[in-house]
Amino acid sequence: MASKAITSTIRRALSKPHGVVSRRHHLSTAAAAATDYEDESIMMKGVRISGRPLYLDMQATTPIDPRVFDAMNDSGINEYGNPHSRTHLYGWEAENAVEVARIQVAKLIGASPKEIIFMSGATEANNTAVKGVMHFYKDTKKHVITTQTEHKCVLDSCRHLQQEGFEVTYLPVKTDGLVDLEMLREAIRPDTGLVSIMAVNNEIGVVQPMEEIGQICKEHNVPFHTDAAQAIGKIPVDVKKWNIGLMSMSAHKIYGPKGVGALFVRRRPRIRLEPLMNGGGQERGLRSGTAATQQILGFGAACDLAMKEMEYDEKWIKGLQERLLNGIREKLDGVVVNGSMESRYSGNLNLSFAYVEGESLLMGLKEVAVSSGSACTSASLEPSYVLRALGVDEDMAHTSIRFGIGRFTTKEEIDKAVELTVKQVVKLREMSPLYEMVKEGIDIKNIQWSQH
Amino acid sequence: MVSRSEVLSLCRAMLRAGRQYPHYNLREYTKRRTLDGFRMNKNLTDQSKVNEAYAEAKAQLVVLERSVKFHSLYPPKTKNIMEVKLQ
Repeated sequence: MASKAITSTIRRALSKPHGVVSRRHHLSTAAAAATDYEDESIMMKGVRISGRPLYLDMQATTPIDPRVFDAMNDSGINEYGNPHSRTHLYGWEAENAVEVARIQVAKLIGASPKEIIFMSGATEANNTAVKGVMHFYKDTKKHVITTQTEHKCVLDSCRHLQQEGFEVTYLPVKTDGLVDLEMLREAIRPDTGLVSIMAVNNEIGVVQPMEEIGQICKEHNVPFHTDAAQAIGKIPVDVKKWNIGLMSMSAHKIYGPKGVGALFVRRRPRIRLEPLMNGGGQERGLRSGTAATQQILGFGAACDLAMKEMEYDEKWIKGLQERLLNGIREKLDGVVVNGSMESRYSGNLNLSFAYVEGESLLMGLKEVAVSSGSACTSASLEPSYVLRALGVDEDMAHTSIRFGIGRFTTKEEIDKAVELTVKQVVKLREMSPLYEMVKEGIDIKNIQWSQH
Repeated sequence: MVSRSEVLSLCRAMLRAGRQYPHYNLREYTKRRTLDGFRMNKNLTDQSKVNEAYAEAKAQLVVLERSVKFHSLYPPKTKNIMEVKLQ
């Protein structure tokens, strides 16, 4: 025992300190490798992982592109004035910089810069759009239409409106995640004040038929709001073609900084709304408060970059998605893709693995940073409401994993993710009695379980 | 007028700079993007377009070198899984 303590202290003393990025040469067996990793591995929440996990959760957030970072630094250090100060150079410089960013954002979506209002993120933009429009027209318009798969902030704002006395219709979606256009047409009433349907779903990645929905809203003269946080910079967005009245955008989904977003508010024909933040009347009176200059510049640079790189990124990400799906399907059966495969953004792949228990699958995938159907939306173990709206069975909803592929993902990372996922699923299925029964040909759903 | 050797040396400079990133994803992305970017413009015949592309790449090299310096000031404290298993 004493000799063991001595050798371990000697080893620790001789090993290189943390923070040194160097190549270490590991030899032979797994046992030796396991003890060598002790010094550089991460211990968190009771789990030991041998290095930083590979990041496949691009729908949650994205790393800041170094080119975007570069655009933010200069203003933070030198041009630190308040853009609303009209009397000195610092204010003028900052205002110019914000206006340049505004033009960059507007160009990405095909809007005019006067229609962009900077906010603190897509959540604030969604809140402002839903509550602001309905409060403005509260005397004549009492009805809101949205879908069951919207983002939590839209659903929560609608619930808040319901408590105030408005009526909300939550449209169901088909099993592929798309909205039924006939149902939408029937749901519109003369007193409908807003239709809110997100362009690309953050959990399943399906792209709604935006042009058709915009057409329906135009026919009935109802403002069309969309949460496009996951859509801008990834699929071509054109507010005129889609006939959009309000659009929420977020910077940190397109390789920009966190804490900034924007709301597009159409000017011709004008959409009026009541501001959520009252104050000095900045941003056309719709969002008072000092503009977060550094973040806004980052947002502008990210949009500019996204416009230039959209085609290249799309090709790369599509290739990686195919590699991931084919790699998993080759080795495993019982893999279901949640949501339509045709109308989908390629960077989002939501898979359910049959006959596998969800929590244990996640626990085994600690070296891959992915998100699951349940953990995304609630701290409880309830499966995600989006998957439930799709009609996915409870057990399949629990084992859903969302892979998010992005600009910086490499082929090797995808191969490793395939390897780790397949290994974990095979291990769990070997232990599972249900899988044995299925292999023997027994239909699980029709079993009469006996009481003890 | 931009010569072939100037274009090649610019490409080499960008690749060399990108290799200095301590971050796995950025290193790989820079390598891939630089090579693909130069390959996409490989068959340009119009000299003014070639000059334009060259100037754009030169500006990007400045940004790249600056951001490599900046990112090297904040290296990751533990290695990425991809780098660990490579050994």
